[in-house]
Amino acid sequence: MEKIKLCCAKCGFTVEEYVADELAADSRKLKRYKYLKNKSSICPSCLASGRLNELRAIEEAVVGGAAQPDAKSSAAPVGHAEYAAGETPMMDALAGREWPSHTTELKQTGYPVQMYEQALQQRRTQWGYGGYVSLPGVASGVLVRSSARPDITKGSNFLRIMDPCGNFFSADAMRKLCDIADKYAYGLLHLLSTGGDLEMLGIPTENLKPAVEEITALGFDIGSTGDDYRTSEECIGPAKCDLALYDTLGFRYAWYRRFLDDVQYPRFPHKIKSKFAGCPNDCVRGCQKADIFVCGVFRDSPRIDQPKVAEWVEGGGNITLICSRCPGRALHWEPGRGLSIDADSCMHCMYCSNKISGVRPGVDRGVSILVGGKLRGKYGPTLSKVLVPFLKAEPPDYKEVFDCIERVTEIYDEHARKKERMGDFLLRIGMDEFYKLTGITPTPHLVSQPRTNLFCHWDAEEVRPSHKESPCPESEYRR
Amino acid sequence: MPGIGIPTLEASLPPIVKRNYGKWISHEHPRPGVIKHDSETGEACYTVRAAMPPNARVSTATVRKLCAVADEFAEGFFRITQRNSIEYVGVPPGRIDELIARLAALGLPVGGTNRSLHNTTCCTGYMHCHLAATDPAAIMQNVSAMLLREYQTDTLPAKLKISGSGCINNCGEGSCADIGIVGVHRDLPPIHVEKLKGCELPLVISVCPVGAIRPKGPGMVEIDPKRCIHCPACSVACGAFAPIGSADGDGVAIVVGGKSSNTGDGPAIAKLVIPYLPNNPPHWPEVTKAVKTIVDAWVANARLDERLGEWINRIGWERFFQRTGLPMSLKLVDGYDARALEYARSNVRFRW
Repeated sequence: MEKIKLCCAKCGFTVEEYVADELAADSRKLKRYKYLKNKSSICPSCLASGRLNELRAIEEAVVGGAAQPDAKSSAAPVGHAEYAAGETPMMDALAGREWPSHTTELKQTGYPVQMYEQALQQRRTQWGYGGYVSLPGVASGVLVRSSARPDITKGSNFLRIMDPCGNFFSADAMRKLCDIADKYAYGLLHLLSTGGDLEMLGIPTENLKPAVEEITALGFDIGSTGDDYRTSEECIGPAKCDLALYDTLGFRYAWYRRFLDDVQYPRFPHKIKSKFAGCPNDCVRGCQKADIFVCGVFRDSPRIDQPKVAEWVEGGGNITLICSRCPGRALHWEPGRGLSIDADSCMHCMYCSNKISGVRPGVDRGVSILVGGKLRGKYGPTLSKVLVPFLKAEPPDYKEVFDCIERVTEIYDEHARKKERMGDFLLRIGMDEFYKLTGITPTPHLVSQPRTNLFCHWDAEEVRPSHKESPCPESEYRR
Repeated sequence: MPGIGIPTLEASLPPIVKRNYGKWISHEHPRPGVIKHDSETGEACYTVRAAMPPNARVSTATVRKLCAVADEFAEGFFRITQRNSIEYVGVPPGRIDELIARLAALGLPVGGTNRSLHNTTCCTGYMHCHLAATDPAAIMQNVSAMLLREYQTDTLPAKLKISGSGCINNCGEGSCADIGIVGVHRDLPPIHVEKLKGCELPLVISVCPVGAIRPKGPGMVEIDPKRCIHCPACSVACGAFAPIGSADGDGVAIVVGGKSSNTGDGPAIAKLVIPYLPNNPPHWPEVTKAVKTIVDAWVANARLDERLGEWINRIGWERFFQRTGLPMSLKLVDGYDARALEYARSNVRFRW
């Protein structure tokens, strides 16, 4: 079958493609072909203007859209045989040690190993910038990784699959995901990315649609790329932890039910990462990484089961160490009288509950919401800051907590600049202004200490309550 | 097509978790790599944790083997932890030795619980990223192999987490960990004039955190070398400023003392102690040596349950540099933003 391509003269980008026979038969297509061929136009890829080149090529006939990937994958995994050739001394040096090696894994897949080998040899990454792929009906979840070495590989796409509750995978579901990865992709999985997604790597553009269809048919969903809510991460919580202060798994599931659209359709100024930790131990690193961090907290003293603690001490538990390492020095152990906790000194940090069998967190439980954590942004890493110190987390819809999250997101969406992370936004407008915008009642729990400078803003109304008009209107932002 | 959400709890959880959901009352560490949870129903749940390859890149062949192990030992389920370890939940206590032997045959060491080196995490680096200034996966391979004994035994003062990121975007969470290995660029970004036409120049100028990019005539910009902090912000925003970095310019910085837990001294971001080490594949000897130096000094001097950052807080930074023998330099003094003066010292309570 002869194909006619109209390509950019400079970069070779294919603007339109026709089958020669169809072109001759269809007058409308012929008209458009002639129009495009004779017109000086701007290339959508490199933006060079000029006439388009015509290329003619004979290609094998393909019957139907869906049959294409099958025909390709039934012979061999995509690209496997092609790139496996070639010496890989650097990668071999990284294999065969006691620790499991990623290079051994790469070699078992269709991943173009020379990309990695060349990168190690040249001390420069061989992947390239840019790229865009349009998949109708899929607004996020697909990423392009283009190649700076077209002689090795053309580059490909990868999919972000949202991980199930608690990151538990059943072997059956995982095998089916493997089948999809073998059929349409390199056969290489990322279990899991640091953002909490399962990534399936190396999917050629023509395989994207069937891959997405099969993954969603399996009950997994894709999303979490671009400026939207990224995949939320939860700690293992009540599924396998005795310290969880709220149902993180149920919370995350409810979060997806309410915010799924915002995970799959990018619309915010920048990405928003959400993490849900069951207790202040913060196993999900939410305080450092998350724009919105929901952390389980309790307000009363830890509960002490005295006989069990005594049993633990007799069994060799180092109670002196725990008492001396308690951050508030709130723990006191007397052999005859047992363990006591000074409520005024207790910081509810979980240390005693972590270490002593028989001490458990209190029962007045809820969540606190922290905002603005990030690891780069514009002004470097920042820890997240307390917005709401305590809220009751009430299943099944967690309305109060989710309303607060939505309010924070709206404020951020409305006031932040493009490509400004939540933490940078807070730094620019100031925490006081943010509390005002969100309508938070200030409590001492919000600050580690009050300010040391006296440069407060005073509204004219606050200075002279009878004064109707402000002589110098307060600007909306401090800077 | 997308829009279905995540699988339900009912579909994703193994039977032992469903039976005891929210009913756990205590936990203990019977041996390295094994955690025991007791439930109020009287049931005990044994979890076995094993390491995965750096960056958790696994071939489908390996995943199928892991699935077979799950079928045999853990009711057909496994779990991936926050630090990319693989966990088998609900292993019968009598078969733990057998499972550990099976995982060892697959090349996966068991450990990473309690006071040990937890599984090392990193970003994808040279493997699949266009921004990487170094290859954290290869570095983590070397560092983890070096510290294998610390992973398999829980003899450290407290838990030790080591993470690596290929660039200062920190996808690999370098700044979160006790010891973070972060790739750094040192070159100015290039300006490809022919690509500037396709650029949204106001966006590029505004994404620069330090205002180093400024207009220079119509449709042209210049970069102030004194201001550039070598973050890849402009090269991400526009292809005219890419690729950033070079073989000799790129390298590795080391940060220490990050943690997210509220115990001890509370959450902290890691601090820079080595501004630059060269990329030296495949074994990165300078980096592994620096990590070893820091770990050894911590192990020799820290008290029990004292994380790396808390040890430094107790003994002070002057003692840290003295104990490790690392050089102090002007690069480690913050002069960057509004908080810069906070990190300079006001008290004279020195440790000489």
